[in-house]
Amino acid sequence: MKLESRTMAPIALAAMMLNPATARADDTATPVFSFSGFGTLGVVHSSESNADFTTTIFKPTGAGHSRAWSADVDSLVAAQVSVNAGPKLSAVVQAVSEQRYDNTYIPTVEWANIKYQFTPDFFARVGRVVMPSFLGSAYRKVAYASPWVRPPVEVYSLVPITKNDGVEASYRQHFGDVVNTIQGMYGVLTSENSDGTQARARNQGGIFSTFEYGPLTVHVAYHQAHLSVEALRSFFDAFRAFGPQGIAIADQYTCDGKLIPFGSVGASYDPGPWFLTGEWGTSNGHCFIGKRSGWYAGGGYRFGRFSPYLTYARAKASGTSNPGLTVSALPPFLAGPATGLNAALKGILGSAPAQKTIAIGGRWDFAKNAAFKLQYEHIRLGAGSPGTLINRQPAFQPGGRLDVFSATVDFVF
Amino acid sequence: MRPVSLANRIATALVGLASGLAAGTSAADVVVVVSASNPVAALTRNQAVDIFLGKSSRFPDGNPAVPIDQAEGAAARDEFYLSFAGKSAAQVNAHWSKMIFTGRGRPPREVANDAEVKKRLADNPNAIGYLDQSQVDASVKVLVSK
Repeated sequence: MKLESRTMAPIALAAMMLNPATARADDTATPVFSFSGFGTLGVVHSSESNADFTTTIFKPTGAGHSRAWSADVDSLVAAQVSVNAGPKLSAVVQAVSEQRYDNTYIPTVEWANIKYQFTPDFFARVGRVVMPSFLGSAYRKVAYASPWVRPPVEVYSLVPITKNDGVEASYRQHFGDVVNTIQGMYGVLTSENSDGTQARARNQGGIFSTFEYGPLTVHVAYHQAHLSVEALRSFFDAFRAFGPQGIAIADQYTCDGKLIPFGSVGASYDPGPWFLTGEWGTSNGHCFIGKRSGWYAGGGYRFGRFSPYLTYARAKASGTSNPGLTVSALPPFLAGPATGLNAALKGILGSAPAQKTIAIGGRWDFAKNAAFKLQYEHIRLGAGSPGTLINRQPAFQPGGRLDVFSATVDFVF
Repeated sequence: MRPVSLANRIATALVGLASGLAAGTSAADVVVVVSASNPVAALTRNQAVDIFLGKSSRFPDGNPAVPIDQAEGAAARDEFYLSFAGKSAAQVNAHWSKMIFTGRGRPPREVANDAEVKKRLADNPNAIGYLDQSQVDASVKVLVSK
C-alpha cells in the first residue's frame, strides 16, 4: 500500500515528541521503546492440482496448482515497535512481511496508531487498527496465540478487508467478575488485489462487544462499509452500454456505492486443560458477492505441551444466477460481446464459496516462545462451487474434494 | 480442590509428557496478596486473574491495581497461573502475545522472588502479587487463596 511507509515514522515520532517529560521512568517500569515480533514458517500441500489453496483472495498463489508444497500460504514475519510517552499516551507500529498481492514479501503496515488512555478502562486510537470482525481477528496473524495452524478460512475469509484507517474508541465495564469491552470504529481502507486493482471500503463503521467471564469469552461484531471494487467497474460499464437490460444487471450486481453489512458472534471456553471455540458470521452485499455465511466449531485437549484438536467448518453462499443479456434480441455484431459478458457474469456469480472442512491437528510447544503444528484437512466443495480456492485452471472441476496438509513453526520474540 | 486443577493434574500425571507442569503442581500453595495498607477487602479468583492477565487494571473499589509478576521459571509463578487461571507457562505466553500484538497491553513487571514481591507491595499500596503461603506475614493481606 502506497501510504504505508509514510504513515509509520511520523506516528512514532509524534508520540515521542508530544510528551517527552513523562518518558522518565519514575514508578512505572514500562520501557519508552519496546521491540517485539512474531512469525510463522510453514508449508502447505494440497491434493487439488488445478487450483490453489490459500487464506485470502488477496494472495496471488497458494498450494496445489502453483506449487505442490507452498510456503506462501502461512509464512510471515512481523516486527512491532511500541512507544510509551507517559502513562496515557502510546503508539504502536507493526509491519508484516508475507506474500502480498504482487507476489512479493515487501512489508505492509498492519497496525500504526496513537493511543490515548483517558482512564484505565477507556482509550481512543487514531490511525490503523485491525477490525475485530471475529473473535480472533485482531491477532489472526499471530499463529502462536492460536491452537490451530490458521483461523478457518470458511469464516475468516468472509471479511477480506481486515483493517481500518480511522478512529477507534474502547470502553471496558466491570460487573463483579464480568468484564465487558465495547469498541467502536470508523474509517476507510484500501486494499490491493492480486491483479493490481484496488478494492476500497469507505464509511467503514463498526461496533464490537467482548464479554469475558473467567474462562468464557463471547464476542459480537457488526460493521458495514461502502465497497468499491475497481476490477469490476469496466465489466459492469460494458453491461450498461447494452441499454436498459444491461443497466439493470449492472445495478443489481455491482457493489460500488452499496452498503455491505457484516455481523458475527463467537464464543470460546478455555478453562485450561481443554478448550472449545465456535464462531458464526454473515454478510449480505446485495451485489455479486451475494449472501454469504460461515461457521466453525473446534476444540482440543492439552496434554502438557501437546495439544491435539479437531475443527469442523462450513461456508455457505446462497447461489445466485442470472441469464444475462438476451442475445437473440441483439444485432448480430453485438451477440459475440454479449455472450462473452454473460459467460463472465455466470462465472462471477457461480464462484460463491461453499465448502465443508474437517480438520485434525496438533500443537506441540517444543520450546519457550515457539510451537510446532501439524494439520490435516479434508475439504468438500459445495455442489458446483469452487469453494475458497483461487487460481482455478480450465481443467478445474467445481464441487470436488481435496486434502490439505500443513506443517508450521510459530514463534514470538 | 477445584475440578479444573484436578482434571489437569490427572491429565498430566497420566500422560507424563509435561514434566515441567507436573513439577509446578507439586509446589506449595500460592496466595494472592496486597499490602496490609490496601483498603480492598475481598477479591474473587476471576478478578485476581483478570488483573494479572491485563483484562482489568483496578480493584473492585475502583482503585488502580498494579500487578507484580514473579520471574519466568519461578515455582510460585507456574503454580499461580496453573491453579488460578488454569494456564501453563506456554498458555500465559500465548495470552500475552495476543495482548501485545493488538496494542492492548504488556505483561506485568517481574520480580525475582517472594521477598521481592513483599518489597514491592510495601512500596506501592496499589500493587498486587502472589507468593508462597509460608511467606505471608503482617506486612501483607491475603485476598485469594486456592
